[in-house]
Amino acid sequence: MRPRMLRYVDWALVAATLGLVLGGAVVLYSATRTFPDPWAFVKARAMHAALGLIFLVVFAAVDYQALGRLWRPLLLATLVLLAAVDVMGRTAQGAQRWIPLGPLSFQPSEVAKLLLIITLARHLDSHREVTSLRQVVPVLLHAAVPILLIVQQPDMGTSLVLLAILTAMLFAAGTPMQTLGGLLASGALAAPLLWQMLHDYQRRRLIVFLDPTSDPLGAGYALIQSKIAVGSGQLLGKGFLQGTQNLLRFIPEQHTDFIFTVIGEELGFAGALVMLGLFGLWLWRASIAARQAKDRLGMLMAVGVLAMIAFHLFINVGMTVGLAPITGIPLPFISHGGSALIAMLAATGLLLNVGMRRKKILF
Amino acid sequence: MRTDYVPPLRRLRVLNAIIIALIGLLVARLWQIQVLHGAEYLRQSEENRIRDYTLTAPRGVIYDRKGRPLVSNRPAFTVAILPLELTHPARVLPRLAQLLGLPVGEIQQRIEANRDRPFEPVRIRRDVGAAAVARIEENRMDLPGVIILVEPVRHYLYGPMAAHVLGYVGEISEEELGQRRDQGYKPGDLIGKSGVERVYESVLRGTDGRLRMEVDALGRPLRVLQRVPAIPGRAIVLTLDLTLQKAAFEGLRTGDQRSGAVVAMDPRTGEILALESMPAYDPNLFAIGITPQRWQALTRDPLRPMLNRALGAAFEPGSVFKIVTATAALEEGIVGPTSTFYAPGYFRLGRWIFRDLRAWGTVTFLQGIQNSINVVFYTLGFRLGGETLAAYARKMGLGEITGVDLTGEIAGTIPSPSTKQQLIGEPWYPGDAVNMSIGQGAVTVTPLQVARMISSVANGGTLLRPRVLLLAHERDRTARPADPVVQRSGLYDARALAVLRAGLRAAVERGTGRATNLTRVAVAGKTGSAENPRGKPHAWFAGYAPAEAPRLAVVAFVEHGFRGGLAAAPIVRHVMEAAFPEGTATVREAGR
Repeated sequence: MRPRMLRYVDWALVAATLGLVLGGAVVLYSATRTFPDPWAFVKARAMHAALGLIFLVVFAAVDYQALGRLWRPLLLATLVLLAAVDVMGRTAQGAQRWIPLGPLSFQPSEVAKLLLIITLARHLDSHREVTSLRQVVPVLLHAAVPILLIVQQPDMGTSLVLLAILTAMLFAAGTPMQTLGGLLASGALAAPLLWQMLHDYQRRRLIVFLDPTSDPLGAGYALIQSKIAVGSGQLLGKGFLQGTQNLLRFIPEQHTDFIFTVIGEELGFAGALVMLGLFGLWLWRASIAARQAKDRLGMLMAVGVLAMIAFHLFINVGMTVGLAPITGIPLPFISHGGSALIAMLAATGLLLNVGMRRKKILF
Repeated sequence: MRTDYVPPLRRLRVLNAIIIALIGLLVARLWQIQVLHGAEYLRQSEENRIRDYTLTAPRGVIYDRKGRPLVSNRPAFTVAILPLELTHPARVLPRLAQLLGLPVGEIQQRIEANRDRPFEPVRIRRDVGAAAVARIEENRMDLPGVIILVEPVRHYLYGPMAAHVLGYVGEISEEELGQRRDQGYKPGDLIGKSGVERVYESVLRGTDGRLRMEVDALGRPLRVLQRVPAIPGRAIVLTLDLTLQKAAFEGLRTGDQRSGAVVAMDPRTGEILALESMPAYDPNLFAIGITPQRWQALTRDPLRPMLNRALGAAFEPGSVFKIVTATAALEEGIVGPTSTFYAPGYFRLGRWIFRDLRAWGTVTFLQGIQNSINVVFYTLGFRLGGETLAAYARKMGLGEITGVDLTGEIAGTIPSPSTKQQLIGEPWYPGDAVNMSIGQGAVTVTPLQVARMISSVANGGTLLRPRVLLLAHERDRTARPADPVVQRSGLYDARALAVLRAGLRAAVERGTGRATNLTRVAVAGKTGSAENPRGKPHAWFAGYAPAEAPRLAVVAFVEHGFRGGLAAAPIVRHVMEAAFPEGTATVREAGR
């Protein structure tokens, strides 16, 4: 990295990221303060954030072209990691998602998102234009193997994230609309088949999304309670550490997937707007990085990261207010979970990377 | 690098538009539920009448060695307060205090102590009884936030009997909580405070369950939403034998004695068959949360009922210590069974005179043991010297922790010329060895140490760690037996031991221990009457039976009981009679 590139670092993107991580840690404290050790989660968060920032710097510093050239080992690593989960993974709540790593454990599916963005970008970049099926099918296979491995864990949410990333990147790579439309249509036709593959609890969640009152004690319980939490926050919230839904632990997973309910309940609509504003700033800077990228590879990487964060944000916040089904994917930078935070910070580093090496249109 | 790259601006704009639309959708939805319908959701959150209860897991049952329960659990009503539903404390608390007959301050104090966990019921009073439950139910309208829980309460089937072995439970203290928070303990939990309840806490404690219920505005349950059943604690089988324990308990209480202890042990394994300390307390009082008045009464009682005199206090052993002196003399080869002594009723050392009960004339060593003749032991003690005597005492396990799996054990003191200054702060006088030979002076031991020592004589010279755990159940409910632990072996030379055992048998047959002479089984043992600065002498008896192949060792100790042969020996006799019922012992011996 040449020092003059530092001039092109997107400090607004850095500020938005840090704002989300710091604000997230504060919310995380509120969500976990009734746990046996109220500081354990915040401490873990500080450690993960420090580690994540190192990854951010690394992913910003190493030229993304070089990262792209590494696509074969990176893809192999993705597949090996995901396969390893099936073999030696630790099971939590019925799903096998973690690999033990000494006293720690990490979640390869979180890492897989970032690695897939890099390898897909490189793969798509190797074709000047993605027009014929001969070009699309290998790309689809490239994405399908990790997606199927993750479905298998089972982790519906992450598979959907990967699908969203794939679609956005295919779209940005210039895949003709007919081809994309055909793919989506065949996906819709395959839906009944997928329904068969789903686990019972996943089907229940989808039914509940359509009609929460169908199961108010089971799967609908979380949705009803989370809507009550968010809604009861009203305009300005009940005040930091004052949420009763939060305090009473009515909401399962309130420090991971449902952490937005704490923001909604304690900080209200105003707090939610601040959070969405930070994400808006972040996504705006990401889209600028995509537009100003000096080449197709950089643009594709930026689009992948942009799609990932946008999809996470919409699905996560959406599920707490009944706009999206409950799929169990974290709120970026805020939910508890080290692997996700580190992967998201590394993805931010990749964005900075593309931005720093943009075309010198400013001169 | 491709130089002909043109950014796909149109498609990127489409992507941006989609993202903006999605964020706009979120904002609109949040506006809808937070601002437009916020008041309605707020009302719902306030009326959220879902309660989470802890289902207290019953502790493991404690059995005696033959499977008879000693400690179990019984269901009882607990009055508790849900802090978040206590909307009118100023009105409710005095009313509740009046119904329960408790000071308001105590209730407030309990609520205050649980402030960190407002979603968990605060237990105000355990085991309130049906009448109090009825009064609270009648006044339910006036008592919003008060609930009744049904919870298991520890039940000690025999009250104060074996209390010092079983121990008691109590609410976890701040300090214990700090150490054990990572093990899932929370304020208000019960935890073993002493005895088996404490030592085997991790076995006995179960895993609490949870119950999530929807209730109506009056707090009446409407339906169960979720139930995680409590897992009871694991059972423990103790080495205690209920029959012998009863005999020890009654034996201590037959005379007009006020304090003492009994230890019965299987000399072959170190298993404690009975352990009693008098006066005792009723652990049932602690199980429901002891009242401050009762606690003060227990702790201020000059007889100290909470003290386990079998191992938590050390006393002058008196003539029981002659077993040590005799062993030392035999092992050192300075005496044989027929060695003779002249016993004029006193022993003179320089200008000091050491007294005896009476003048015996010329006696043999065996007669010396039989009649506990002080002059014989004065002579031996003086010749052996303090250092040798102390070494034998320590080798035989006196003045050191036995390592029993119970709480509160102390070591006692065996002074010697080299350590007395350090231990007691006084110099060693030449007469000290003479005094020590009959267990006087600064020598103090616990009844449990004496039981271990007499067991080593009974089993041929092995010091076994005393223990109360026979077997515990593993998490998969398989039983794990506890094996004997040998602490020291080969203590005695066979010939020396034979002489000593003949002397102990003679003491019971025709000497100081005649009170334990049974026809059904041959008993051997030694009495002790230990002078002490606090009152009448302590009475001791340490013995075993059957004399030829011992299966039982018993030590009785009566604080200020005056004469071992009069106060302590009958207690041992009582335990021996229970252990060897009329007729059976001889049959068993014949079968050997």
